[in-house]
Amino acid sequence: MKDEGGRMNPESRPGWQRFIPHPSSFILFFLLLAGCDNNPNPPPLREKRDDGSRWLVRYGGMSEDPRSFDPQFAYDQMSRRVMEPVYDTLLEYHPLKTDPYEVRPGLLDAVPVKEVGADGKPSYLCRLKTTARFHDDECFPEGKGRPVVARDVRYAFQRLCDPKVESPFLANFSEYLPGLQAAHDAAEKSGRFDYDAPLAAIELIDERTFRIHLTQPYPQLIYWLAFQCTTPVAREAVEYYDGKKHGGVVRPDFHKFKAVGTGPFRIVEYVPRQRVRLERVEGYATTSFPTDGFAAEAPEWLMALAGKPLPLIDEMNFSIIRENLPIFILTRQGYLDAMGVNKDAFGAMVTPGREMSPKYRERGMRLEKDVEPSTFWISLNMRDPLLGQNKKLRQALSACYDSKTYSDIFWSSVAPVAEQLIPPGIPGHSREWRNPYGFDLEKAKRLIAEAGYPGGIDPQTGRPLEITMDMVSVGSEDRQRSEFEQRCFASIGVEVKIRQNTFARQLQREDTGDFQMSSGTGWGADYPDPENYFFLLYSKNVPPAGKNVTRFNNPEFDRLFEQMKTMETTPERLEIVRKMNTLIAEEVPQILNFHKAFYSAVQPWAPRTQNNLMLEGGVKFSVVDAALREQKRKEWNRKPLWPLAVLGGLLALAAVLGIRINRRRYV
Amino acid sequence: MSVFFTHWLTQNLLVLAGFALLAWTLWSVSHHERWRRAWLRFRADRTGLVALVVVCLYLLLGALEVVRLPAGKGGPQSVLDLFLSGITTEKTYSAPLATTLLSSAQPEPLKGRHLLGTDALGKDVLRETLKACKTALILGGLTAAIYIPLGTLFGILAGYFRRRVDDAIQYFYTTLASIPEILLLIAIIFVLGQSLTSMCIALGVTGWVGLCRLIRGETLRQTERPYVAAARSLGQSHWNIISRHLLPNVMHLVVINFVLGFSGIVLTEAVLSYLGVGTPVGTASWGNMIDGARSELSRDPLVWWNLVSAATALFGLVLALNLLGDALRRAFDPKQG
Repeated sequence: MKDEGGRMNPESRPGWQRFIPHPSSFILFFLLLAGCDNNPNPPPLREKRDDGSRWLVRYGGMSEDPRSFDPQFAYDQMSRRVMEPVYDTLLEYHPLKTDPYEVRPGLLDAVPVKEVGADGKPSYLCRLKTTARFHDDECFPEGKGRPVVARDVRYAFQRLCDPKVESPFLANFSEYLPGLQAAHDAAEKSGRFDYDAPLAAIELIDERTFRIHLTQPYPQLIYWLAFQCTTPVAREAVEYYDGKKHGGVVRPDFHKFKAVGTGPFRIVEYVPRQRVRLERVEGYATTSFPTDGFAAEAPEWLMALAGKPLPLIDEMNFSIIRENLPIFILTRQGYLDAMGVNKDAFGAMVTPGREMSPKYRERGMRLEKDVEPSTFWISLNMRDPLLGQNKKLRQALSACYDSKTYSDIFWSSVAPVAEQLIPPGIPGHSREWRNPYGFDLEKAKRLIAEAGYPGGIDPQTGRPLEITMDMVSVGSEDRQRSEFEQRCFASIGVEVKIRQNTFARQLQREDTGDFQMSSGTGWGADYPDPENYFFLLYSKNVPPAGKNVTRFNNPEFDRLFEQMKTMETTPERLEIVRKMNTLIAEEVPQILNFHKAFYSAVQPWAPRTQNNLMLEGGVKFSVVDAALREQKRKEWNRKPLWPLAVLGGLLALAAVLGIRINRRRYV
Repeated sequence: MSVFFTHWLTQNLLVLAGFALLAWTLWSVSHHERWRRAWLRFRADRTGLVALVVVCLYLLLGALEVVRLPAGKGGPQSVLDLFLSGITTEKTYSAPLATTLLSSAQPEPLKGRHLLGTDALGKDVLRETLKACKTALILGGLTAAIYIPLGTLFGILAGYFRRRVDDAIQYFYTTLASIPEILLLIAIIFVLGQSLTSMCIALGVTGWVGLCRLIRGETLRQTERPYVAAARSLGQSHWNIISRHLLPNVMHLVVINFVLGFSGIVLTEAVLSYLGVGTPVGTASWGNMIDGARSELSRDPLVWWNLVSAATALFGLVLALNLLGDALRRAFDPKQG
């Protein structure tokens, strides 16, 4: 069938000829193909450095978006990961010293030493480095960053007290630093914080020197000085970036996602749910790679970094990836420089001998094991009439819980079983210590009988003893965990009913004490000190005052805690810690489960320079061999040519058919 | 009260009562001419018969899992558990018919062979798939027990009384139907708490609208017919007309809707479990198995057997129910022979 111009209507073409696409569609298809690439990373900010050398970029992943870049407000891991390279802290964790952890100077020129004043109260004299500067930013006159001064440190501490900042850190300091709580209360009353008023805790001595006053000894203060909450911020920056409209332009909000830092990187881009990009700050000279702390077997290339100026790379790109699978795929393709080996990738990457599997070893990838200073457990409510009154029952529940199998199933046997509350790396953790009520089924059966429930049967009802356990349940894996735990308790005849909660609901239940057992609770160390763990069982820290969710109340434990919390780490203190460990093990306010640990797969071009998990990534210590990465990426992402050949063949066939149809029509 | 209902003896009696009720219903309708003719037509439908056998098989498996017997020290066990007592539980995943655990970190030898492998907690997948029939049976049965009376009653009342009663019922179900179903289900489950019973209530409360519409339409048609006019002229009460004349004439629609709706309920359970608001922890269900497969599919090596067996069991039941529904529709269709 033809139209008036003699052209054939494509709809009227007979049979199979209708399925032959127009040649122009092939051209369009190839044009679209040209735009395809499996590299999800954006192009680097620059191709070369000013001196002509290669611009070095590292690619990492983040599982969630950061919540804020305000150092006095943000407490979550993702925010801290971004802020760490942007804000230098007064002190910082030594990247190479992890057992025990040590701090070294950051913005301060030395680690301050405790002094005792005439009034018997302790204080720390601190002096800022002359090299410490704020980044260039339009909030400063002529856009030039200025040196960090003592006033900025006081301003940071004042911000901790400002109710408008809503800092979660104030509670940690108010007991020890004078004037903080009073300043907070006064601001709350008046509705405005007076930043011009002095703060008793911070005495300004000169431009670079200040003294931190304490009301009582608090050795943990040193670790808080290595936390971003005490890092100095510029008042000009906070006041300039108020999130309001000025001259028709809305300025970013310092409290949200604007950072004017002092560290080796600045944030150049944050695209929610996609990426955060950091660029090296020219002229940064505050810190350098350590010259001590190298392991005896440290490789030569690592030793060669000693004393080098930081950072060692020019750009850091954090991709925000929520799912595990893309992380694995991108690492395999070479688009991520490292990945945590989750249980889904475990079988493919790790051999039974706990080594990198041959497939990935051949690629030059390395396997690194990290044990995070954290402990996870099941909380038992000590105010519950059943659990709180029956120690033998708590001991039986602890003895029937198979933490080893839990680790085997859910952590691919990587996470060590928690024998004590204090995790490895924290003073007071003992490798030899064994939990007397660790997994032992026979003992558990004996204990449950002694507790008055032989075979788990409640003599009053003649039915299995019923206990309710709360847990966060948001996915299939949580359900599997619950089922595993039910099975453990069922092994001594106890029937555990699971009450599923959202994370927020679970926290609420823990805070109000509305639970019998609460599964999945854990604590990651804020600082490497046993006090940071034992305070979870101190009777004065029952919510809302603190996080003693078990409502554990033991006068002897409290006495020991009060004695050890302000002590320096000495053999006497460690002896007290040992006693406290014994006491907790006997009382069983928690069923200890595991210390979080994981394997990381590291690409050959991005070897680890440090393994300190108190650092949030330690970006400024990272290195990269960009040439090797480029070469490997090409090798690993070779595009197969056969689809092109097939497409070419199809195109040729279509052309031949087209010509024949054309001939038939017009000849 | 809850102890009474959770006692194994009560549950056994409830199952027996349910099956007895079903048998009695079938026996009583077998005297009805229309149902007898439908049975004759159904008997000649080979696809329908095969589908019926498959559905009965699923029902039997479900019943075997519900009925529990005292079995020594461990307390009462389901009949299915007693049949499958030889099947061992492993530590974690193992592939179908494998001899060692899947974990490359610890390839320990297995205690036994597993036709369809084992899941993350080492449970035999075949056994879990069979046990999940119970969940489907309870869900389908209890939900139907809620939505069928509701849908039938409201449908007949709307179609028979018309006017304001019809307007009120229509307004009510249109409003209910305008709320996104999944959201409504999730909201009800959150309010009632996550359990199999709450899920049945949620599905029942939201699921009667379709049946109500159907019954209303059929009742509108039936009330125009002479036998209803005759009953009215003889002075029969509304109750008599509805229960003796209208209800038997719309029952075939209820049966077909029940059969087809059953498969919908089983599928909704899978969807709700996938969204994390399905059956509670420890309940074997195909939805939970499919939900679990979400992360298993990204594993390397791939764990496919959990998904395949749950999906196959679900597919088998849903297909059989749909075929049975079609066969019943054909059997009751007066235009057919």
